[in-house]
Amino acid sequence: MSDFEKLGIVVKYEFLKHIRRRRLYIVLGIALLVELLVLILIRLLSGSFPSDVMVMAAALTAGPSLAAIGAIFFAGDAIAGEFESKTGFLLFVNPIKRMVLWAGKYLAGFIAVAALIVFTYIIVVIALLVIYQEVPVEILKSFGLCLLYASAVLSVTFFFSAVSKGSMGATVMSLLFLFVICGILESVLGSTGKPYWYILSAGGDSITMVFGSIQELLSSLGMTGQFGNMMENFKPLDIGLAAWGMVIYLVVGFVASIWISNRRQLA
Amino acid sequence: MGDSIIIENLTKYYNDFLALDKLSLRVPEGENIGLLGPNGAGKSTTLKILCALIRPSSGKVYIDGVDVAEQPEKALFSIGAIIETPEFYSFLTPEDNLSYFGRLRGMKGEVLTRRIKEVIALVKLEKWSKVKIEKFSRGMKQRLALAQSLLHDPPILILDEPGLGLDPRGVVEFREIIADVGKEKTVFFASHQLNEVTLICNKVAIINNGQLLIYDSITALEQKYQSLEQAYLQLTGGNVE
Repeated sequence: MSDFEKLGIVVKYEFLKHIRRRRLYIVLGIALLVELLVLILIRLLSGSFPSDVMVMAAALTAGPSLAAIGAIFFAGDAIAGEFESKTGFLLFVNPIKRMVLWAGKYLAGFIAVAALIVFTYIIVVIALLVIYQEVPVEILKSFGLCLLYASAVLSVTFFFSAVSKGSMGATVMSLLFLFVICGILESVLGSTGKPYWYILSAGGDSITMVFGSIQELLSSLGMTGQFGNMMENFKPLDIGLAAWGMVIYLVVGFVASIWISNRRQLA
Repeated sequence: MGDSIIIENLTKYYNDFLALDKLSLRVPEGENIGLLGPNGAGKSTTLKILCALIRPSSGKVYIDGVDVAEQPEKALFSIGAIIETPEFYSFLTPEDNLSYFGRLRGMKGEVLTRRIKEVIALVKLEKWSKVKIEKFSRGMKQRLALAQSLLHDPPILILDEPGLGLDPRGVVEFREIIADVGKEKTVFFASHQLNEVTLICNKVAIINNGQLLIYDSITALEQKYQSLEQAYLQLTGGNVE
């Protein structure tokens, strides 16, 4: 049997594990809730939906942005879990290269996250069609960037899963890295006018930025106070560079996680 | 007939701790060999190296003539193993888990489905075959572990304390299954239960501090030391767990 056939088997059963777990449905439920909240709150607080479809599309990307949380939840235990819960004693004694196992787990995680992303973009498209009877073509670019962002977060989480003793540690480290460390760095760099495209969270911002700059979107939503003034200092994000930044995280994170995992021993 | 398992000058350090000290042993094809020793003697470490779960610091191990370090996938093809107290994927059923592992070993279709039913029946888990493993007791998981080790009908079985967590009836049933399949297979079997080893194996290797103390038939040891228990106690310095 070829490595490719074995890869297919690993993807199938690892994805089956995602389907049987509650966390996939919880994240899907949260994404649906977030989209509903965006629709309800904008209508309630502004009295009507924005006149520009691009602004509404940008606001609705709050749902797809949850792909990062999905990726962290799906990948946190992918490697660490095999060592922590001792399932590796059964999996690793099968005649399969470890690299094929990790690649299969990555692909299964990606399929699960992609399902979440597709689900949220379907909601976005339906909402825009109902409200504006049109969908901006930029949504395709946003969708592609969202897939890339999820892949990069998945790789980074795989890296933390490879170096962590336990799944919880990997999940917490990934959340801290993405939402605290990257968030702080991006804010500091952005507000001081420095380039921040190489920060992973900027990749997440690019999903929204395809619909307009952050300043345009904030003023369209009536956010012109102190927060709006602060954001005016933000240097516009170069989406092309941000995409390259995500590719770097994707490749480096994945290669590093495989290299480290192959050296781990199940003692 | 040749040797199914060859262990040559096997040494393993865990940082500064010497777990295996130039251990050498040969398990002939078709024989059932018990691996005995106190806690920390190096039994599990030996079996984990045989299953390519950990790498030796030095020395070689061969499964059916295949160097485990050089060609782990090829070596693992010939073995079925239970190492320590393995866990299954708790969100999947026994059928799902066995199907996963069976397919990774090249089994598929009707052959795999039939074999899964056979091994599940062998370990008496028929009623639980479609229940998620999160509901299983320790003993039930151990039964399923035996089923997965036999799934692909391997010529070599490597078992590390397979009776752990089983109730007395389960221990007897386990012993009968291993003794039965052991008639046609090579079994390398680590255990603390001397009576279990006596009933399943014809030869034993006793190790301590990572070194081989003796490797002989149970009959010869009983003649020399009066009983296997006495042999174990005297050779390991009365260090009984």
